[in-house]
Amino acid sequence: MGKKTDNILEVRNLQKSYDDKKVVDGISFEVKRGEIFGILGPNGAGKTTTLEMIETLRPIDGGSATIDGVDVANNPYTIRGMIGVQPQTPGFQDKTKLTELIQMFAAAYGEKVDPKTFLDEVNLGDKADSYVENLSGGQKQRFSIVAALVHNPKIFFLDEPTTGLDPQARRNLWELIKDVRDRGISVILTTHYMDEAEILCDRIAIMDNVKIIALDTPKKLIKDLLKRGFTKAQQVEQANLEDVFIDMTGKGLRN
Amino acid sequence: MTLKQKLYTVWAFYIVSIKRLFRDRLALFFTFLFPLIFLFVFGALSHNSSVSLNVAIINRSNSAAAKQFVQSANSGKVLKVNKEVTDFETANLKMSRGEIDATIELPADFGQLKDGLPTGQAIVHYTQNNEQAATTLASILQAQFQGMNAQLVKSPTPFTVKTEKTNTHSLSAFDYTFTGLLGFAILGAGIFGPMNYFPELKKMGILRRLHTTPLRVWQYFLSAMLSNATTGLMSIALMLIVAVTVFKLRVVGNYIDLTLFVALGIIVILGIGLALGGWAKNERQAAPLGNIIVFPMMFLSGTFFPRFLMPEWLQSVTTFMPLTPVIDGARMILAEGKGLFDLGPQLGIMFVWLIIVYAIAFRVFRWE
Repeated sequence: MGKKTDNILEVRNLQKSYDDKKVVDGISFEVKRGEIFGILGPNGAGKTTTLEMIETLRPIDGGSATIDGVDVANNPYTIRGMIGVQPQTPGFQDKTKLTELIQMFAAAYGEKVDPKTFLDEVNLGDKADSYVENLSGGQKQRFSIVAALVHNPKIFFLDEPTTGLDPQARRNLWELIKDVRDRGISVILTTHYMDEAEILCDRIAIMDNVKIIALDTPKKLIKDLLKRGFTKAQQVEQANLEDVFIDMTGKGLRN
Repeated sequence: MTLKQKLYTVWAFYIVSIKRLFRDRLALFFTFLFPLIFLFVFGALSHNSSVSLNVAIINRSNSAAAKQFVQSANSGKVLKVNKEVTDFETANLKMSRGEIDATIELPADFGQLKDGLPTGQAIVHYTQNNEQAATTLASILQAQFQGMNAQLVKSPTPFTVKTEKTNTHSLSAFDYTFTGLLGFAILGAGIFGPMNYFPELKKMGILRRLHTTPLRVWQYFLSAMLSNATTGLMSIALMLIVAVTVFKLRVVGNYIDLTLFVALGIIVILGIGLALGGWAKNERQAAPLGNIIVFPMMFLSGTFFPRFLMPEWLQSVTTFMPLTPVIDGARMILAEGKGLFDLGPQLGIMFVWLIIVYAIAFRVFRWE
């Protein structure tokens, strides 16, 4: 056990290669307790591999990751009990009720829970006896999040959580992720949506070509760019098409 | 996590998988109905086998003796007379197809009086590859004519034969059929189930998701063993009820021994399915290897044909296949009334396979 610090996650010089091809090349970063940390980057930059190594799903080739002072590579089962993971595609077995799935996931951590309270938390109380295959995309995402939190983890990983969702469902999910953070669970997520990163993340790391090329708060990164003399080719209006869409259709969640 | 918590995990996964099976019509069909269909088909087939010879009679004579012969052949138990056949052409056709074994011809002069006594010669026609049936039929007729002769001409009979029933019950064809189908049901549920199911779970990312939890492979396997043993025993109980009520299966052995033994058999065979399904990344990878493993067992372990029909060298080789001791042992308990302690060799082979298949299954398991 390392000493406890302000950081829930510390990544030092993390490396991964497949057949001599580096897919993550010596990256280092920290995630502070109670923050939402975003990893941005084009496809193939190494975001998902980085998360999977920290989640114990892939062996770490070099460097280290520690969660709350616990070394990931040496204590995979301890780590799995401390983390919640929301994969890119929320996979749940069919013909199983939501309550049963919650109980099953809690059981994977050796815990018994009351599924109803968890479902109510994400407005799925009336769907308790439904099967996952009968949920909408947004409902599935909300369910997936609550299923990953049944054991009250210290840090929550989300891989592209809002891909494919409508604007209402995205906004709802943002609120949900903020609620998770406000409960004291640190959040680390990857995304391709810059508006999402800007609104949601306290700090972000930008990855490109298997390395981290920038790491700071969104505001600071924008300020730095402007300082370098950047101007947009076209003046931006005070509103965009998404604002129009939300204004006309409302923020209310659709099912 | 304490051991109690770890076992609670196993229990929770077991309950969910049982519930899921009963909500899945396709799975219900393959688990319960499919083996029953086989039981009805093969049961009906093995019950018809009491008739020994299928014959046709072509009677060209009008004599009383000929009529009497045809009548007694029709009413006897030894011959099954095909009454549709009246001419040689159809008889030949049916013989060439193997639908009848031989044809008895009574010539026009059969039963004609010679020196005050009726005489005649019946002719047995048979195809080249049916010599055995013809010889059997000839000796049956020979014996029948001897009886008739004795009534007509009084002569001393110094040597005779008498048949007597013993007290022991021998195994019927259906005893073999039923335990073979029991093996078939175990094979289907234990191997084809996980072989299809696991790659599907991997495709949907379900196992990958479970991999992010502290769930251990042994917990997952143990819950699979429990649920497979539960549904397998239910399916076999259903087969047993049908076999006893419809096909009059005679159960000599003890049901507790049978349950324990069959449960162990299910777990051994399931290990093969877990190894295959746990290893395969997708269905295309699982199917070819699965077929290579399943088909030899299906045909050589005594599922559809009893092993005593095989040449001796093949019998001794197939003794050591994983399904063989399961089928043999089940038959020894069910039909011969043996107990678990009499099944040392069978249990020995099963335990060796249990260790081998689970050692492989744990090694090759992949979460995605």
